[in-house]
Amino acid sequence: MSLRIEPADRPHAIRLLVMWVILSIIGIIAVLQIHYPPYDQTIQGEDQSKTLALLTAMATPVFIGVVMMVIYSAIYFRRATAELVDGPPMLGNTPVQVAWIGISAIAVLFLAFVGVTTLASDNVAKLVNAPGRSINTGGQTGSATAAEQGKELQVQVVAQQWYFTYRYADYGGVETTHLYLPLDRPVELHVTSLDIIHSFWAYEIGVKADANPGVDNVFHVTPQKTGSFTVRCAELCGLWHGQMSDTEGKVVSQSDFDTWIAQQQQDYAVIQKAVPSYAPFYFPEPTVKGS
Amino acid sequence: MVRRLLFVGAGVVVVIIAMVALVGNFMLRQPGPLGQGTTTNVHLETVAAVSDAVEWPRPDDPHPDWVAYLPTTILRVPANSTINVQIDQEDGATGLRNAFWGKVFGTEGGKMHKGNPQEGDMTSIDPTMAAHTFAIPDLGVFVPLLGVGDNAAPGTMNVITFSFKTKGPGIYHWQCFVPCAAGTVYGNGGPMQTLGYMGGELIVS
Repeated sequence: MSLRIEPADRPHAIRLLVMWVILSIIGIIAVLQIHYPPYDQTIQGEDQSKTLALLTAMATPVFIGVVMMVIYSAIYFRRATAELVDGPPMLGNTPVQVAWIGISAIAVLFLAFVGVTTLASDNVAKLVNAPGRSINTGGQTGSATAAEQGKELQVQVVAQQWYFTYRYADYGGVETTHLYLPLDRPVELHVTSLDIIHSFWAYEIGVKADANPGVDNVFHVTPQKTGSFTVRCAELCGLWHGQMSDTEGKVVSQSDFDTWIAQQQQDYAVIQKAVPSYAPFYFPEPTVKGS
Repeated sequence: MVRRLLFVGAGVVVVIIAMVALVGNFMLRQPGPLGQGTTTNVHLETVAAVSDAVEWPRPDDPHPDWVAYLPTTILRVPANSTINVQIDQEDGATGLRNAFWGKVFGTEGGKMHKGNPQEGDMTSIDPTMAAHTFAIPDLGVFVPLLGVGDNAAPGTMNVITFSFKTKGPGIYHWQCFVPCAAGTVYGNGGPMQTLGYMGGELIVS
């Protein structure tokens, strides 16, 4: 089976193929230079960046091929006169159809393979709140996951109009005004809200999680680079939604974290006794009704 | 022909120079003298209804008669300076949604002073007794304001004073964290969502 190309069309076919290969290589190199969101401050954030880069690189030759065909046809196969008549009928071309379907199938199956292996990773399983349920472990590593869960740092994100506060369950439920995370330690983020729907968005660490009242929304991240990150609200929540951000989120070393959290416990001891004990979520009501 | 082209060229050059001058002026502009080390006094009154204010009553105001900070919620203060704030708090307690804000944050010495009746310096209050808070989140300033008793005579007030330092120029929002008014079921409404009542801007220049 060979591609039956009319002798007159061969120059076009060769020209298109060569152009496509060259432009695709240039295009792939170009798109791989772009920064893909979010950022590599956590392992999960880096995974997201890499997946986006791969998908974009795979889509580039397809995009270039389509655009190139349109422009090339418009220039070379333009009808010379303005008569409105149908072109010659096309009666199918089996090799072209086989090649087209075959290449599409290979591309889609490859992406499916990438997706399945990504889902199979523990990182993703944890990100979607199913630790130990990644499809490649089959429950075999259940005990290891339980041990790992034990050392995960539990941090609660409490959204309210218009500020995020944080509570550290492992440190007496101490509430703080900024989010600090220790380096290289898996973190279990519990996102909730005290009033209406907000969204906890920390771009650099790769988390955007709905903050709903009465809901404990769990996300897992493992910071791998120290530095600052920004927390902002990603769900329109009223007058000061646009100001509901904090640039002082930080990933710090474990020792710096220990110093910081001890200082927070000391500073906030005066109010800590009035703060309700740590719970998955809260239903606060004003104790006295306003005027 | 040549003269026309010269005119076009000259025009383009003039436009480019004008644009460079305009943009360069913005980029090179030095900030004005900052209020380094100066002190500014801010005096506010919080009331259950703007018409009932003791110091700045607005009986004929066409706007809703809501709970509010008076006389204005747009505060202009100098950068890098100390701001002394006095708030005459006349409203009853509603209680904080997040008890955490019952602590004083970010003021000079981490405290506020309650002077009428005299209770001296305080670093926190009972969160259920908060009427309002004066909070500038981007400066880390959060001050809970104690409510007056339910049976207090009209005009009774808690005089709260505290100081904080401003940073560089900019517009910082400030707000109340107590769900303190009608229109509040699970989220903020009415005065909590309206400039001039329970939120405003601190314009630092």
